[in-house]
Amino acid sequence: MKPWGRLAHPLSSVARDIRLSVLDMIHAAGAGHLGGSLSSADIMTTLYFSDIFNFDKDHFILSAGHLCPTLYAILAKKNKIKQSTLSTFSQIDSILEGHSSSQIPGVEFSSGSLGQGLSFAAGLALGDKDHHTVCLTTDGEHDEGQIWEAVSFANKYHQGNLINIIDCNNQQIGGTTDEIMPLGELAAKYIRFGWTVQTVDGHDFYALIKAIKNAKNSSIYPACIIAKTTMSKGISFMENDYHYHDVKELSLEVYQRAKNELENS
Amino acid sequence: MLKMNWKTANLSSMRVAFADTIFDLAKDDPDLYVVSVGLRPSVLMDRFAARYKTRFLEVGVAENNAAGVAAGLAKSGKNVFLCTYACFSPGINLATIKQSICENNLPVKIIGYHGGLLTGELGASHQMLEDVALMRSLPNMEVFAPLDSVETAKITSVLAKSNRPSYLRLVRPNSPKIFPSKLGFTIGQSHTLQSGKDITIIGYGPILTQTINLDIKPSLEIINCSSIKPLDENTILKSIKKTGRCLVVEDHQLFGGLGEAVAAVILKSGLKCKFDQIGVNNSFGRSSRDPLDLYRLYGLSTTDIIVKINNLMSKK
Repeated sequence: MKPWGRLAHPLSSVARDIRLSVLDMIHAAGAGHLGGSLSSADIMTTLYFSDIFNFDKDHFILSAGHLCPTLYAILAKKNKIKQSTLSTFSQIDSILEGHSSSQIPGVEFSSGSLGQGLSFAAGLALGDKDHHTVCLTTDGEHDEGQIWEAVSFANKYHQGNLINIIDCNNQQIGGTTDEIMPLGELAAKYIRFGWTVQTVDGHDFYALIKAIKNAKNSSIYPACIIAKTTMSKGISFMENDYHYHDVKELSLEVYQRAKNELENS
Repeated sequence: MLKMNWKTANLSSMRVAFADTIFDLAKDDPDLYVVSVGLRPSVLMDRFAARYKTRFLEVGVAENNAAGVAAGLAKSGKNVFLCTYACFSPGINLATIKQSICENNLPVKIIGYHGGLLTGELGASHQMLEDVALMRSLPNMEVFAPLDSVETAKITSVLAKSNRPSYLRLVRPNSPKIFPSKLGFTIGQSHTLQSGKDITIIGYGPILTQTINLDIKPSLEIINCSSIKPLDENTILKSIKKTGRCLVVEDHQLFGGLGEAVAAVILKSGLKCKFDQIGVNNSFGRSSRDPLDLYRLYGLSTTDIIVKINNLMSKK
């Protein structure tokens, strides 16, 4: 179904391939953070496969390191790493760590411990004012106080070249973010902290591109994009179910069912 | 032989030495940044902040963000010094130092002010006694603690050229100035302050100056291990081979400090050695107007050191 009668965006087939790679990686590895990797897949696809940024010069900081399967799949599609390494994800002889590692070509920040990426991105943006730094955080990650320290800092230093995209799928490892720790009015909070804020459907490529272009054009205000997403997006029977935050085992049957659904989407 | 007495020794400030050195280095290094964590006056960065406005970043009382911003700046190629009290950095932001700085292997220089009981009247919360243990356990991190102000300046200029994550521990009060103004320093190398044959004294920071020129019978070989990690194992073992006795002296918890590092080196070497330690034994500090009273209260005074030396000498 095409909402609003619009044609499917050309990036949707790219994102479908990324999702299939993510599913294959996690199935091969026997474990991995599927839910958030799929909810953020359209955001990361937009960042890397539209022409808004050139990440050979601009910077992408994945703060939520557990979303790395999506980043790895993208880097493979971009030929930064070999496609064949994806099947080695999180194995002992693989470069593809279970949480993102800066040892991997194309990965700028080792992560996994939540809440640190925005500070790092702010420092990087300050040190490289000629380029943009885009940070991807999650809503659950906003429980961390360090995020708000960085939000204050970016406002103080008028970091117009800093963008924080928040993957808001309203789920975390043990329940909804509203149950675990309500974030309240996230957009209002960022506005009060001096940021520009746009709220978009995180699975609508047209909306994502427009918002990211707007954010890029900000002169002195750091820009926040609240991307409303669905955990495990693309696999209907896993969507919005926090049990798929971190998959411990995917049976062959479940894997095939999920794969069929993605292939036919 | 003179007995070292802080009331009469030639005293000088590590904090001033660091601040002056960093101010001078910044003249020739346009990429040198200072990240301050809400304690600008106490870390003596007023002059730097006034002179290098865009290279002085005040992050506010937010140690985790400070470490993250410092790491990001270093990633962009800047030469970053993160300056605040050790009780807050690494005391508060250890996880950020571990991941954002060490795991990403970025050459942030973390300056830990107010190390040890010497912090005095500020009490337990501000007397950092665990920093060496925390920092030496982190992969990629190098750890330094100068003996005096002269060595502080020297290590600071060496760290300004280092491309590795580093931690430098400073003390709050003025302390004895031991070294002449010209001093060499190489990462991973110690200074032998005094040669002797009966017992090897190993330590770092001003507490070690209490062992210089002691008027006692045993002949002391005093090794200043200001490079705590990497550690100068060769010099240590060479000395132990000669003396067969070792006392490690530090203003830090016994757990995880230099003493345990040295003990491991000796044990692994197979050398026979009578061994003891001076340090804080599983306690918090407390306030004292005169920091040296804390050395007396916690068993770190010159008298305590002499007792331990004599005990080691009496062991067959």
